[in-house]
Amino acid sequence: MESANLSRRSLLQAIAAIIASAATPLGWAEVAQAMDAHTAPLTGADEKLAFFSSSDASDVEAVAAQIVPTDDSPGAREAGAVYFIDRALSSFFSQLGGDYRSQLSAFQAAFRKQHPEAASFASLSSRQQVEFLETVDQTPFFNTTRLLTLLGMFSLPSYGGNRGGVGWKLIGFEDAHVFQAPFGYYDRDYPGFVIDPVKSK
Amino acid sequence: MSMQTYRDSDSVDVVIIGSGAAGGVIAREAAQAGLTVVLMEQGPRFSVRSFRHDELKDWYLGGITNDVVKNPQTFRDAPDKKAELQTFKPALWYGRGVGGSSLHYTANFWRFHEIDFNERSVLGPIPGTGFADWPITYADLEPYYTKVEWEIGVSGLAGASPFDPPRTKPYPMPPLPVKSSGVLMERGARKLGWHPFPAPLAINSENYRGRGSCVHCGFCHGLPCEVRAKASTLTTVIPEAEATGRCEVRSESYVFRIETNAQGRATGVTYFDRDRHERFQRARAVVVCANGAETPRLLLMSASTQFPHGLANSSGLVGKYLMFNYSSRAVGVFEHELNEYKSVQVSRILHDFYDSDPKRGHYGGGGLDARMGPQPTTWAIRTASEGPSWGSEFKARLKEFPRSMQVAGHGTSLAVESNNITLDPDLKDAWGLPAIRTTYKDHPDDLANARFLRDRGADILEAAGALRVTKADVTEQTSSVHLLGTCRMGNDPATSVIDKYHRSHDVRNLFICDGSSFVTSGRGQPTMTIQALAFRAGEHIARFAKRGEI
Repeated sequence: MESANLSRRSLLQAIAAIIASAATPLGWAEVAQAMDAHTAPLTGADEKLAFFSSSDASDVEAVAAQIVPTDDSPGAREAGAVYFIDRALSSFFSQLGGDYRSQLSAFQAAFRKQHPEAASFASLSSRQQVEFLETVDQTPFFNTTRLLTLLGMFSLPSYGGNRGGVGWKLIGFEDAHVFQAPFGYYDRDYPGFVIDPVKSK
Repeated sequence: MSMQTYRDSDSVDVVIIGSGAAGGVIAREAAQAGLTVVLMEQGPRFSVRSFRHDELKDWYLGGITNDVVKNPQTFRDAPDKKAELQTFKPALWYGRGVGGSSLHYTANFWRFHEIDFNERSVLGPIPGTGFADWPITYADLEPYYTKVEWEIGVSGLAGASPFDPPRTKPYPMPPLPVKSSGVLMERGARKLGWHPFPAPLAINSENYRGRGSCVHCGFCHGLPCEVRAKASTLTTVIPEAEATGRCEVRSESYVFRIETNAQGRATGVTYFDRDRHERFQRARAVVVCANGAETPRLLLMSASTQFPHGLANSSGLVGKYLMFNYSSRAVGVFEHELNEYKSVQVSRILHDFYDSDPKRGHYGGGGLDARMGPQPTTWAIRTASEGPSWGSEFKARLKEFPRSMQVAGHGTSLAVESNNITLDPDLKDAWGLPAIRTTYKDHPDDLANARFLRDRGADILEAAGALRVTKADVTEQTSSVHLLGTCRMGNDPATSVIDKYHRSHDVRNLFICDGSSFVTSGRGQPTMTIQALAFRAGEHIARFAKRGEI
């Protein structure tokens, strides 16, 4: 719970700063509560599969890892996107499950035809995977996998992906519930709104 | 506080269907005027304490909205096609809970301008459309716009735009702090000689009427506000209606039929309660505020031998003239961080292109706003649709999140009769009721206007010094959150569904007020006008009730 405690502390600091600087937000108790519930599920990762076989999961994970690859920063693999996808298709997106299963089969069949020598898509080298994906990246299977991978990378970690908030860190999103102006570089030294700058010169 | 409850057999003065932007306001106006009210809502009553920054739940799983499993819909772009089931996101997306779509809206609260009400007279007819004037003017609605600003709570700066229509009072709260996107819009637009100004928002910039000020969390768009700074009817007028002791809010109560008697009067509504038991609530008057899709659906489901084509539908126009508005966008990437994910969506807008101009070669106009755009998940999905969509280059684009902004264009939609809501002939929802079927194709002028506005947005981004500007493709829309025009207001019963007081032409004690009442689409931000209409309708309904004219 270390991360939750840290978040809680920074939240309280932010609230203290707001109280000191301006009007007290009446809803701060709600913010604190929402934030506690928000950070709690960041710990603990479930590796059990409910929708995929382990070999199917390996293939889907390999595709996801080409969609958001791992380089000097984490990608879909580190985010645990495949566990999110597995959970989604067996629960809250179960209406997509039937179609996805047949799309995955079609993908694997096309792969075997192209690479009869290989045990599976996941077993190929990264370069070979990219070459094959370039031939199928307009298919329903690829589109759905991309959609689910991205949902998994950036949704709340409690859904099984975005582990440790790696997706948010990747794109520079700060997971906090209270911010104060200035928010960015360009609004730092804003002089205030002037109704008609031409006339007022 | 113990809340007033009524029995089904009690004949309350008014039963209101839908507790969103309009229904909540009318409930308060009626109850404060002394009428007894039952406010029906399909969805649950959420606790503000249950609201989270859960983008997946609220954007993709119908957390506070209709969802594709329980409330399935079909969509097609032409009347001769079979409409297809939407399996991932519904075509029409609306709040389903006490507060309705005011829970998840972005809270851009622009008033309409004078031209929105009389544009047909100014510009002349447009062949193939139902382009028409409203039976009311901006001046008729001005006092109620002011009422929305002061009683719902709107932040803004009066007199900041040279294009603003006349107003009788300033805003009750100053604008929210400018964001980097707002500063850049000012920089770019002023170079081009245009007139950006602080965006009016139904979000508190300071404590107001017992609700706290915005804490800039950045999750207004599509999600409910956990600090009540964004004004939803759940946290503003509905508690005020209940405080009168004359209004019962009945959540998880799904009205599917308005009953009428031999005299052609509405007698009350039949609904499923939360245990799916069929019940009937008697009432002296029925007010439908269920939104531009659910309102015509309910009227069509209320067909009877006396009203074979649906209730209040002697004109045949119930469900027709659906208008979405067109929301276009240009995206800019800058050298330094903007961190647009912080705070409200929009801090600066401009109305230089609000009016239609024949020189542009098409009908239409609109407003532009500088905004964040999507939150992380939707950012990623959208980025994939606008350039490299997987691999290292895609990953590099994802990382531009804090350095990006968009200028969104909000444009007109023409009223086209074949754009409509009908009952799907085959598909049923989880209660066994006919699903909403949408038929929609943007008018060519709407698309041309969207491109025009998008290109002006790109001009602003370039003038502001963006490193890269991307113009999102303008293609025909297949989904919307703006549900307008489907029970239009007018003086002539042959060409409209309700009169200028929101009374249906056909049924004397049936009133309709929500986005369906619109005659023209306006320029993209409809809720302010929906609520101004609702304050006005509520006042008139209370007056009619007191005179025995319902």
